[in-house]
Amino acid sequence: MTGSTWQVTFKVYRQRTGEKPSHQSYSLDVDPDEYILDAVERIWAFHDRTLTYRHACHHSTCGACGMRVNGREKLTCITTIRSVTRNGGTVRIDPLRNFPVISDLVVDMGNFFLRMEKSGFDSVVPLDKANLPYESTITRVSEHKHEAERLADCIECGLCISACPAANTDHEYIGPAVLASIHLMYTQSPSQALIDQADHHTGLWRCHSAYECTQVCPSGVDPAWRIMDMRKKIIGNRIKSIFTRPNEDKKNA
Amino acid sequence: MPNQPEAKNWPRWFDPRSRSLGTFGFILNRITALALTLYLILHLIALGQLAQGPAAYDGFIALVKNPLFKLGELLVIAAGVIHGLNGIRIALNSFGIGVRRQRSMFVILMALAVLCIAFFGWKMFMEG
Amino acid sequence: MEGSLTPKRLEGSGRWLIKIIAGLFIVVFLGIHFVVNHLVAPGGLLTYADVVAYYQNPVIVVMEVAFLVVVITHAFLGVRSILLDLNPTAWVLRAANVLLVIVGAAAVIYGAWLALTIANVKI
Repeated sequence: MTGSTWQVTFKVYRQRTGEKPSHQSYSLDVDPDEYILDAVERIWAFHDRTLTYRHACHHSTCGACGMRVNGREKLTCITTIRSVTRNGGTVRIDPLRNFPVISDLVVDMGNFFLRMEKSGFDSVVPLDKANLPYESTITRVSEHKHEAERLADCIECGLCISACPAANTDHEYIGPAVLASIHLMYTQSPSQALIDQADHHTGLWRCHSAYECTQVCPSGVDPAWRIMDMRKKIIGNRIKSIFTRPNEDKKNA
Repeated sequence: MPNQPEAKNWPRWFDPRSRSLGTFGFILNRITALALTLYLILHLIALGQLAQGPAAYDGFIALVKNPLFKLGELLVIAAGVIHGLNGIRIALNSFGIGVRRQRSMFVILMALAVLCIAFFGWKMFMEG
Repeated sequence: MEGSLTPKRLEGSGRWLIKIIAGLFIVVFLGIHFVVNHLVAPGGLLTYADVVAYYQNPVIVVMEVAFLVVVITHAFLGVRSILLDLNPTAWVLRAANVLLVIVGAAAVIYGAWLALTIANVKI
């Protein structure tokens, strides 16, 4: 805490069932090095107990506190007030896009979680598979990396889906997080089932290279890289299948 | 329910506010794609003038020497160059090439596009 | 996969590859089309006589028709992809597929006819 105080106005999205959405303003004295989530909590605690929002760990591992801050997807527990406004400024807070709003800042992530489950997402992955090829593995465990495991980068926060233009118009598009999960699972255990999910009009081919998913991901998943790598694998398989006889396919299956 | 993915949200594809460079690439590619498809149809219809004989075609060419038409043609060239170069970037990325450098690739290719457009613009308007 | 009735694949790696390969051919053909039309032919192909002379070469006729085929393929697969982004109903997509195939085929036939007509004009 720096000890300095800013006066900041927070314009928060409010939505109740059956009512038109609106923005309500709250003026707060804040420490600029506090986080957006702290401000939202203070609004709830001292100004408006009807405000609904989601939060849990407060240290970027649960993925619960994703919101749009001044229009941009952020994990609010690690987004300082200083990084998005100035003294006397205004901060607009909206729920994530492309998810149905349950109330205020709380969105329905159910469908998304079901899709992650269908992709076989396992949040515990072998260390040598957890990192992307362009990331270096921690050297002191490198000799044991085939035994070591860690939590996967994806915290299922949904920021990528909120930022994706294709997800804005197509509710059947499985989205960047799910495609990234398919890629992660495929690198551990290739299967036709995973390819079938990805090589589909609701999968890889709805991506139009806006790369917003990688831009907003707070966890280094790099969904865009994974999507392109999955495309490369599938196209490679398809080209190979032109030159492979059907019997060889059955032998290799 | 509000905030859900729906077809009627399509105008937001073209809203760059709070978005990054990649979205500009997406917006440019989509607008130029639709513009070029429209131009393609018009171009094919206009070329039908050729089948009408020399008087019809040469008359049509006289019409398109009008500066306003020339500007339209330059916009088509611009759309073609932008869409083509962006498309090359997307094709390369989809084969796993240059994904981590996609931002700098976009900037370089669009700078190249601006140069090409300037070159053709100069040729069309200065040289007649 | 238990319990999964994956809906029919409306767009996959195959159609996408065709679109991309067509796109790459366009870059090549358009380059040639541009250079000849605006830089090589004196004054560009801006008179009827110039166009007829240009189309006397059978390689040009084949190239321009091939150019038209790849442009239509790329453009219409692209338009269909944009439509798929809007998650259309089955009948809207079916109608669009039919329309795109008919208009696309008509454009190619018309363009080929036009090219051959010009090629057969007696100088």
